[in-house]
Amino acid sequence: MAWDIEHVAGPYEGPADGPVWDGEALLFALVVESRIVRYHPATGRVAEHRRYTGNTTGLAFGRDGRLYGCQTSGQRVVRFDVDGSMSMLAERLDGRLHNQPDDLAVDAAGRIWFTDPAPAPGSGWVPAPIVMEPPVDHASVLRLERDDDGAWRIRRMTFDTVFPTGIALSHDEQTLYVAENPDDGARRSELRAYPIVADGTLGSPTILESFEAGSGVQGMCLDADGDLVACLGSAIAVFSPTGELLEHQPFGPARPTNCAFGDPGLDALYVTAEDGRLCRIANTGRRGLRSNDRSPAAMEN
Amino acid sequence: MLEIDKQSEGWERIVGSTGEPELVLSDYPNFIDGPVWHAGEQCLYFTEGWMNVSPGKIWKWRPGSAPELVLDGCKALGATFDDAGRLVVCGWAGRNVWRLEHDGSATVLASHYGGMRINTPNDVVVHSSGAIYWTDPSRGLGGNGRAADGDDDAQRYLDFHAVFRLWPGSSHLEPVADDFWSPNGLTFSPDERLLYVNDTPRQHIRVFDVEPDGMLANGRVFYEAEADLPGVFDAMKVDVEGNVYCTGPGGIHVIAPDGSLLVRIKLPDPVFNIAWGGPDWTSMFCTALGSLYRIELELPGVPVGKR
Repeated sequence: MAWDIEHVAGPYEGPADGPVWDGEALLFALVVESRIVRYHPATGRVAEHRRYTGNTTGLAFGRDGRLYGCQTSGQRVVRFDVDGSMSMLAERLDGRLHNQPDDLAVDAAGRIWFTDPAPAPGSGWVPAPIVMEPPVDHASVLRLERDDDGAWRIRRMTFDTVFPTGIALSHDEQTLYVAENPDDGARRSELRAYPIVADGTLGSPTILESFEAGSGVQGMCLDADGDLVACLGSAIAVFSPTGELLEHQPFGPARPTNCAFGDPGLDALYVTAEDGRLCRIANTGRRGLRSNDRSPAAMEN
Repeated sequence: MLEIDKQSEGWERIVGSTGEPELVLSDYPNFIDGPVWHAGEQCLYFTEGWMNVSPGKIWKWRPGSAPELVLDGCKALGATFDDAGRLVVCGWAGRNVWRLEHDGSATVLASHYGGMRINTPNDVVVHSSGAIYWTDPSRGLGGNGRAADGDDDAQRYLDFHAVFRLWPGSSHLEPVADDFWSPNGLTFSPDERLLYVNDTPRQHIRVFDVEPDGMLANGRVFYEAEADLPGVFDAMKVDVEGNVYCTGPGGIHVIAPDGSLLVRIKLPDPVFNIAWGGPDWTSMFCTALGSLYRIELELPGVPVGKR
């Protein structure tokens, strides 16, 4: 059955990304405009939530109910506090700055897993950072977490990626899904499933699917059954946890960047696109998982 | 002699026929900035701590001795002395302008405008009336703001980048010019009737008339240069004849009061901040990331602090 794609907000200048349901409305990031806006499905209104976000891209709520984002041009993951301020957490890995965070997922322990690709200058939507000191010499999945003394620190989690972008956690948090999209135009893109071992480190990944160079998965999310809803080229594809293709729905006019379930029943799929549009699909027949809802409204209940 | 290019008539009054840049300090782990000469002590004060490798500091250095730590664990970039000889400091990612008192304590002079945090103060000058003027770009909030830590608020609130003026002996501040892309260095002409302010992404210097009440008027482009070599429009100072010395592409641009380029002085590294000093105010100290150079020039600079 074809999905009915409803265009509900935008277009804006540059891509939209980071859709996340906050319990009442859908927040999403305007990457080039450096804003976060909030779409209310009940009224159809879009309100500005934040400005001057520093090209923040991926968004997620933490275990504390606060909003975290990948501040791409700031080369760090930041937290947007309810009083309107913005805090940086840790920004160095072994004393070095890292690259330009793209997307993130927060686990039940409050640890923030994020992808840290290094786009070639001029290749992406976001201006290349001014290089005043050399960053790390790899592009990996990193994890931000608090030590026993409450200090934030960053750990390197993958040692086999060159350009990770999309990221998602399985509901049982035993698997980390990563979209690996090498930007050399030669190597194939891969949708990978890394097992999360007992000590929190990652085992060797299973390649769920591979794609032609430049044609891989971008952002993705899980539905309540654990299937992966993935932005793939000019389509939304749904994969089973073992990589079986379950659905392939065309999406346009611009390519989808990321997706998330929202609406009070978590039964609408929201999709952000490269032209800044936000779309809503109410008839996927799928829904998000309530217990994964870390939005502030959910945290209060 | 100093390596120079782009000379025009009169350049010999600026640069002598002998001397080379002297690397006087090096290997600081953080970006050093805010150089300012204290005539009474015959010392150069400077700030360290832009790259957030370790907490920021204030140093003082008497040529010939090892630098002495004045203050540790602070946030500082551009700095100058007021007429009472107190160091007035731009807090950069600390988002304030503060003053180091003679007893070693720090007083915040400005942090908010209209109830909102100001951006990231970069460089500062003190008018003879006691009014303090500083540039307020927002670059310190983003990727350049490596001096921020987990306690800092990195959210930008103001919709403009201004030159602010703090009223003498007061907590009242106003933006006196607010149409910059990213204001950086600033300096008065010797008679304080003009204020020069540069704008790094626009690669130009604008000049404003300073009115009797301290407000700015008639802002117009004074000088611009293309980026033919590494280096950016950053700090500016003037000599006693009103020539403007500005860091920029390729080195220090020396510009006559009519806006024409007299000469470009090239140093071994791109320099960011410059300050007059030495016994006769004819030395120029130039910061270059973790290093400090000294060059000798022909004309004295306008002294800082007690006049």
